[in-house]
Amino acid sequence: MTSAATMVNKGKLKMALAAEQGTSWKKITEKRRSKAARKDKDAKAPSARTPKRKADEGDDDNWEGVDSDEDDDEQNGAPLSGQSSDEEEIGGVDLDMINESDSDSEVEMEERIPKKARTSKPLAKPRKDAEPEEDEDEEDEEDILLSDLEDIPESDREDLIPHQRSTINNTSALISILNRIRMPTDDSVSFASHMTVVASKPTAAGIDDIHDDVKRELAFYSQAKTAAIEGRRRLRKEGATFTRPGDYFAEMVKDDGHMEKVKAKLVEEATNKKAAAEARKLRDLKKFGKQVQVAKLQERAKQKRETLDKIKTLKKKRSDTSGAGLGTNEADLFDVGVDTELSKSSASKKRGPPGGGRDGGNPHKRQKKNEKYGFGGKKRHSKSGDAKSSGDLSGFSVRKMKGMPSSGGGAKQRPGKARRKAMR
Amino acid sequence: MSGVYKSLSKSGSSKAQAPAKGVRKNKQRVLVLSSRGVTYRHRHLLNDLASMLPHGRKDAKFDSKSNLGQLNELAELYNCNNVMFFEARKGQDLYIWLSKVPNGPTVKMHCQNLHTMEELHFTGNCLKGSRPILSFDEAFEKDAHLRVIKELFLHVFGVPEGARKSKPFIDHEISFSVADGKIWVRNYQITEVEASKTKDRDASEPVKESKSGSGGKDTDISLVEIGPRFVLTPIIIQEGSFGGPIVYENRLFVSPNQVRAELRKTKASKHNARAEKQLELLAKKGDLGLRRQGGKELPRDELDTRELFA
Repeated sequence: MTSAATMVNKGKLKMALAAEQGTSWKKITEKRRSKAARKDKDAKAPSARTPKRKADEGDDDNWEGVDSDEDDDEQNGAPLSGQSSDEEEIGGVDLDMINESDSDSEVEMEERIPKKARTSKPLAKPRKDAEPEEDEDEEDEEDILLSDLEDIPESDREDLIPHQRSTINNTSALISILNRIRMPTDDSVSFASHMTVVASKPTAAGIDDIHDDVKRELAFYSQAKTAAIEGRRRLRKEGATFTRPGDYFAEMVKDDGHMEKVKAKLVEEATNKKAAAEARKLRDLKKFGKQVQVAKLQERAKQKRETLDKIKTLKKKRSDTSGAGLGTNEADLFDVGVDTELSKSSASKKRGPPGGGRDGGNPHKRQKKNEKYGFGGKKRHSKSGDAKSSGDLSGFSVRKMKGMPSSGGGAKQRPGKARRKAMR
Repeated sequence: MSGVYKSLSKSGSSKAQAPAKGVRKNKQRVLVLSSRGVTYRHRHLLNDLASMLPHGRKDAKFDSKSNLGQLNELAELYNCNNVMFFEARKGQDLYIWLSKVPNGPTVKMHCQNLHTMEELHFTGNCLKGSRPILSFDEAFEKDAHLRVIKELFLHVFGVPEGARKSKPFIDHEISFSVADGKIWVRNYQITEVEASKTKDRDASEPVKESKSGSGGKDTDISLVEIGPRFVLTPIIIQEGSFGGPIVYENRLFVSPNQVRAELRKTKASKHNARAEKQLELLAKKGDLGLRRQGGKELPRDELDTRELFA
């Protein structure tokens, strides 16, 4: 207990305070002394105690879970059992307050509430474990001891190490703490003063697997939503403001820069999603397109085969009919086209595509091109002379060689210099 | 001495005052600070929480990890009666202490799965300093230790009415749920559809509203998460403020150090198992006389080469 530290230098005023609080020092000191004695005993025979404590812990665990259903009918027994620790609490708390006496008035609130709670409403006691609290009283003594382990000097503590890490759940101490600091949240005060909503059913019940993110968050969300609705209802009932009007602007928790980032993130996500969808669509289309193409080719082949078959059967029929001597004019009337068609197609098959090569259609085109651009053979030295060209004397004439006028001297000669001068 | 007198007289006078005044004003101030060695995420979480607590007072990093009792004096210095202290260990683990300052209690919790507002990219937003609705799971009413923790949450996260920098409208909600032995904390924005219409109606006829008891059922409330998110595992509750006897200890809590050690051990055990197998194999070979040296020598039979050509 905290009062253990302050006990050393208790002065007159503290005594006065204690008197004012109505607690007797004697009682407290006596209690403390008995506790110390028990502690000594513990330290001496720790091994003997160990199994017993183990058993106690087992009990602890059991009634933690089991008996929450028997609380209501035992309600009245509860305040009695917590009494002793409460009294000790009073002494401890107020002494502390003396130490902190320079602190401000904020302390007061929590100081006063427990008293109010204790006097005005005994139902401030826990709804839970009213029944087990009776055997808890014995338990409590031990629990306190356990928590006092820290006060035992190191050397003594060594023997007790085995049961240091045990469950400590000093319920009555927790309740007294709670009563000390409790802020009223019941109907006696306005909802606006505390704004807490406690759910009516446990949220954990809605979560099967804690690692299932969606379900878990949904459970939290539904808890929060019911609380929000309830909170609004109660606030409106009290006439308090709830909704922020549209023209009320103030600093927000997330500033504009942050919200801009969030928006950018959203946009990015959306575009990514869109792009992914588009890509998938395209991929599907491609796959489908291939299928379509294959189907088309198959269709074409099928058609061709069918027509050929038809023609064959027709031809066969014709030859059959002609053999039977039903008259040639009938055959002429109906099957001439077929015959020619057939021969033509077979011929074209033999030749391959006309015109040769990819150019298809016009057979002269290649030829023309070859003429224009040349085709085959080497182009260099084509103008240099060879034996044949040098042997070719077809263009040689003696007359030209001798410088004689080619045809009867009819050509005018150029006049001499003097004559040319005279002519000017 | 005068201080002592003051406290005495104060308690005396307050006794007389309390019933006369009726409703007490809820005065809470929270000192928000961290230890040294926090990572940036811890720091951002601290900033996020501090931005939601208009009654909070953010302070510089606290230097000592061993002597947390000094925080009491620090809080008193700033007139705070609650402390929220972020203790970082090994540059990765975060422990959050919540304490009522002058005389307790103190709750130490381990913080996991924390995601700050910034990294969550939630679209929700709320007024800075508006008062949140606190939503608690039903489990908070059952166990004694959870009731104490709930009370602390109420003091720390609940913005007191008329706090200095608080706004008069309510547009967000902090929800605490218990699942898997841990406390999950979420922060939502409360959005209303057709909000303006109902607002007008409410303002004009609040009395009728209260009589009918149908608290604006025409508008739909929906929530948009704001962030941050985190999960708290209560470890201990101390009776005093950063001191005093431990009144609750969570047996189910496994410290992250232990978890890491376990992981390392399993990793190491792989090698150990392999080495052991190797050794076993050698021993087996030795037993069959298949090893050149060591192990057992097989008895020579008559057809052995060494026997035949001796």
